[in-house]
Order: sequence, then C-alpha cells, then structure tokens
Amino acid sequence: MAKQYEIPIGAQHISLLEPLHFKFTTENEKIVKTDANVYYVHRGIEQACCSKFKFRQVSFVVGRVCGLCSISHTTAYSQVAEKLVKIEVPKRAKYLRMLVIELDRIHSHLLCLSHVAENSGFEALFMKTMQYREFSMELLEAVCGNRIQYDFSIVGGVARDLKPQVAQSIIERLKKFVPQLDELMDIYKNNWTLSLKNKGAGAITKEDAMRLNVVGPFARAAGLAVDVRNETEDLLPWKEVGYEMITETSGDVYARNIVRLRELYVSIRIIENIINGLPETPLITETKAFPDGEATVRLEAPRGELFYYAKGNKTQVLERLKIKAPTFSNVAAMAEAFTGNEYGSVPAIIASYDPCLSCTAR
Amino acid sequence: MMKTFFKTIGNVFKKPVTTKYPFEKTFIPEDYRGLIGFDENLCIWCRRCEMVCPPGAIVFSQDMEGKQTYHFNRAVCIYCGECVRACPKEGAIFQTAEPAPCALKTENINNGWNKLYAEALQSREAYAAEKKKKAAEKAAADKLAAAKKEEENKSATDNQTGAV
Repeated sequence: MAKQYEIPIGAQHISLLEPLHFKFTTENEKIVKTDANVYYVHRGIEQACCSKFKFRQVSFVVGRVCGLCSISHTTAYSQVAEKLVKIEVPKRAKYLRMLVIELDRIHSHLLCLSHVAENSGFEALFMKTMQYREFSMELLEAVCGNRIQYDFSIVGGVARDLKPQVAQSIIERLKKFVPQLDELMDIYKNNWTLSLKNKGAGAITKEDAMRLNVVGPFARAAGLAVDVRNETEDLLPWKEVGYEMITETSGDVYARNIVRLRELYVSIRIIENIINGLPETPLITETKAFPDGEATVRLEAPRGELFYYAKGNKTQVLERLKIKAPTFSNVAAMAEAFTGNEYGSVPAIIASYDPCLSCTAR
Repeated sequence: MMKTFFKTIGNVFKKPVTTKYPFEKTFIPEDYRGLIGFDENLCIWCRRCEMVCPPGAIVFSQDMEGKQTYHFNRAVCIYCGECVRACPKEGAIFQTAEPAPCALKTENINNGWNKLYAEALQSREAYAAEKKKKAAEKAAADKLAAAKKEEENKSATDNQTGAV
C-alpha cells in the first residue's frame, strides 16, 4: 500500500464560494476517502421564524435563507402556509410564481456553469457566462423590483403584477439569449481544454445516486429521473406550461454541465408559454384565518428538491418550521463522488455540485 | 486557429460589456423597490404598517397630547412593500423608485434606532397609561356625579312625598 496523506480543503479556500470543509485521504494523487463538514454558517433562522416573526412575515425571512434560490424558499413557505390556513391561490399568482422560479433557475444555473469553468482553469469562459447571465438579473429586477431577494411570493398569492411592457421585454431578451446559449452549449460540449478537467471527473453511478438519495441536476446527470416538477401537479401546474425531464447518463462534471444547459432551453420554453397564456384572475386570496395543523410542501429549486414542514397552533406565530435544502440531501453523495479522482480536479468537481451551504446550515 | 486569431483582434475594437458606473447610469426599472415615502396629511394613524413590517423599520411615537410621529429607518428596511399593501388609506405610505442612500457612521443608525424604537414604545405606553388614568378619574367623577344626582333626585322625591 502506498503512503497515505490527508489534505484538507476549506473552510476558507480560494476555489470555494461558501464555507465548506472536505478532508481528503490521498494515495499519491488519487483520492481514496473523503470526509465532509458543512455546518459553518448556522444562523438560527428556523428558531427566529417560530418565535420572533408572525406567520405572514416569515415568507420574507425565509427569502433570506439563500441569495440564489430566494424565490424557491419564499414560494415553498407561502405554499405551506396556504395549506395551513386552507386557501386556494388564484391561477395567475401560480403562473407568475412559476415565471420567477424559472427566471431564477436561468441565473442560478449560469452562475454554477461559470464557476465550473473558472475552477477548471478557464477564466475567459467564466467571464463570458457571467456576461450572458446579466440579462436574467435585469429581467428579475424588472419583474420583482430587485436583483436579489425578490420578496415576490406572499401568503395567499404574489406581491406584484407583471406589466405588459415587462412581459414584452422578457420575450425579446429571451430571443436574444437563445443564440448565446447555443454558443455556450457548443463551448461546454466541444472545448478540448475544458474536457480535460470535466470528462470523467467526479462521476457517480445511477445505483449510487439512487442509494445516496441524490436530488437535482446532480441526480439527473447520473441518469436518475427525479424532479419534483414531474411529480406534483396540485400546487404549481408545471406540465401545463411545457415541462420536460432532462437526463444524461455519464454522471460526471461534463454531464452536469450539459444537464444544466439543456434545462435552460426548457426554462426558456416554460417562460414563453407562461407569458403567452397568462390567465386573467386576481393576484391574491385574502384570508383572516390563523395557521392550524401540519403541512408539508416539496418544490424544485435550481439545485434540487426543497422541502418545507410547518406546524401551526391557531396563533400568529408558527409552532415549528423545518427547512430541508437540496444540498443537504447531496452531501453524502458529494463525499462519495470524489473517490478515485485526482486531487487536482477537486475544485471543478466541488463547483459542479453547486453546493449552497447557507441553505443547508440556515 | 486563424479564426480564433481574427476573433481576438476583433475583440480589441469592441465596446466593453461593463458600464463605468459612477459616470454612466446603470439599469434601474420604472417600478424599482426604493425608499418608502410617507404623507402625514393623509395618514389615519392606524399603525397597521408598523404591525406588518417584517424587520421593524417603522415605528410611531406619541406625545402626551396623543399626537403621533412617524419614524422610518432606511438601513433596517428590506423594501418589501408590505406596509404599502397593508395601508387602508391609499397614498398615505408609498414606495418610490429612488434607491436608498448609504448609512453614515455619524447617523448612528443601529444603536440610535434601537434607542428610538424603545423610546417610541415607551412613549406610547406612557400615553396609554395617562389616558387610562384620566378615563378612570373621569369615570370616578361621573360615578360621583351620578350618585349625587340620584341622591338629589331621591331627596326631591322624598320632599315631594313629604309635601303630599
């Protein structure tokens, strides 16, 4: 047996966006074992939601759990609170929620792709992807009034309406974006430099993905067809607006990039369908009821399945709120997928997981 | 290879993608979520905006005559617009498209605000206690007056019966 070395990476490291700690046991350059430690950013948000804030204010608090998938958190909370107060949301509000979730998915996926390129040593592609991402931020600002922290979903519906000129500009900007996306697809697929760090790196098999309960693009890249948008129809009608499952088979960094890029085409189609078929109903259902009983909600965030549990006791303040973020489900598989890789490809693999630690530790 | 070369040369003459921010304006949409405005003449002083505000950026203080004053902290506010939605009187509280200016150290925006918030709540409590006290005094006086009146009536009727 060759001599083994332990190499730590994190909690502060130049290739990491957020505090995450991995301890690798390596033989020469090969990784044989990995330990993961993720809880560096505990903020006590769940406790704050159950003590300090009223249940209508909590949808703004959970938006601050994550900067990237803020709308997924607010929507999931709004849905769970609507189940507790037993109201049905108007159809226009549902469509507008889906619109913002998909716009958010575009900007989140492009951010992840740009960081994969950067951590693989392709700085110019990082710049290019970020340049193409800017349009989605501006559209979100036009729709919600802010570049991040959208505060769009509230209990009972949505806070703002979509103006016709904003809808028009979304369609125009998306039309401009499609050739840019084709260009990105070409680079991520065929670039020889990128393929050295991406093809075959961080691979996970379908069986392992199933066993370790992987969610999101990570699972779909391994060929596991899991997507909440495909499974639930009652809260948000995804199939009505043209949702389609995207899977790849190889399960490596390359496959994850391709899954994310192909999902962007689906997102663009969903957004166009939503704007063309926006129903004319009121935006919000008013109620004076207090939350009572228990409820759970699942929602597909850009990184995978987001799970909310809430319990009310007929007062303004919730008794319990539990948030399970997608990255939390993926931690076990994250540690597993390093095995057998070179230590040098670790930054690219970490970026391709798209970890969101502030979601996980809350 | 030659294609890449020409593309690189071409890029030298292209305009930059970024904007030179302080000299050029960046993109701000029409209905940007900016500063919260307040119109004292329209307000009906129901304090509903204070009740719904998630971070507690609005507070009303009250003097001994019962007149309320509106306080707003732009550094605590998250610009969600929940106060505007809750307001029953249209136009009393509204959202402008103007971005908030930075908080300065001299403004003492954290500790100063916490102190102001506590004082505002105290001032309201003090007014409520004063009002209660006055109401109690008034009720006692009323009661006394009523008792007196009743007594007078009684004596009057007694006198009447005596006369008969």
